[in-house]
Amino acid sequence: MLKIYLLLYYEFFKIGIFALGGGYASLPFLYYLQSKYNWFSINELTNMIAVSNITPGPIGINMATYTGYKTAGIIGSIISTTAIVTVPFILTIIFIKLFNKYQSCNAVNNIFLGLRPASCALLASIGLKLLYQTLALSDTNTLTAVNIDYSALILFICLIIPFSLIKKNPLLIIIAGALGGILIKTFI
Amino acid sequence: MNNSLFEILKIFSIIGIQLLGGGYVIVPLLKKYLVEERKWMSEEELVNFYAMSQCLPGIIACNIAICAGYKARGILGSIMAVLGIILPSFICIILLANVLSAIVSYNIIKNAFWGIRISVIILILVTIKDIWSKSVNSKYTYLLFFTVLFSFLLLPLSPAVIIILSALISLIYGSIKRGKNA
Repeated sequence: MLKIYLLLYYEFFKIGIFALGGGYASLPFLYYLQSKYNWFSINELTNMIAVSNITPGPIGINMATYTGYKTAGIIGSIISTTAIVTVPFILTIIFIKLFNKYQSCNAVNNIFLGLRPASCALLASIGLKLLYQTLALSDTNTLTAVNIDYSALILFICLIIPFSLIKKNPLLIIIAGALGGILIKTFI
Repeated sequence: MNNSLFEILKIFSIIGIQLLGGGYVIVPLLKKYLVEERKWMSEEELVNFYAMSQCLPGIIACNIAICAGYKARGILGSIMAVLGIILPSFICIILLANVLSAIVSYNIIKNAFWGIRISVIILILVTIKDIWSKSVNSKYTYLLFFTVLFSFLLLPLSPAVIIILSALISLIYGSIKRGKNA
């Protein structure tokens, strides 16, 4: 058992270092784990992805918890979750300490003058990519009038109009989306 | 300003519960709870943290929570913040692990999460509208915004590469501009 714990820590420690940019970045690593150790089946892996999507929290964390749990119980899930945040935690703390130390320096100010619009644009492009994936029906790759998912478009318009006018409450938007999804898919 | 460790854990758990549909909604949630309600940091700092989180390894939502926790209460604060983000999902998965794969196959759950995906998109779009004026406010920043937007949409580049490139370009641009003014 101890060997599995150590392996779990080691593998998720690696995922923490190399999975740059968002939860789905850890997916290829999980496929690799599956083929290397056979801790879980491909079918279970597919379930893990679906489960990670419906439980709260960042998808990468959910996958680590679920994989750890399926492999070695509660202790396994604690180990894999701790492992995946170890390196990012240390690096983030070092980074923010450096930032605090040098933030009055001109060079750092110049860098952040550019980083703010750049990360704003990254967030915007993630939004647009998700929008494209949701509006275009999944079996086609081009967005033309023929294969737009009209029910998604309707829900999008119904939600964005009120929520761009009133004061935004993230939870309210999430709940409205869930209810809207159920209503539209049931009746259309 | 009540920033006891328990308060930090509490707020980040509340944020963690609402992190549905992936980590993307962390920015709007931090903006609501920490910038607007508690004023632990400014909007500009939030965008700075988001940029930093993107060029570091790890899960972006966790990295940005670590930054925000550190800002509130040093290293202990960042430990509480990351714990708070992880706890709700952790508990949820442990309690439901054995039934979750069955739950996922219910149509009503599928449909709700299909709708939540659209909510996530809307949250991202309205957040950009809000943080826009703090980040994109000069000819240079406009140019950078649209260059990054189109290059990330059209080219297979990693976000980390884009962030590092824009940092370098801005560093050079800043020193040239200062050279001219001097």
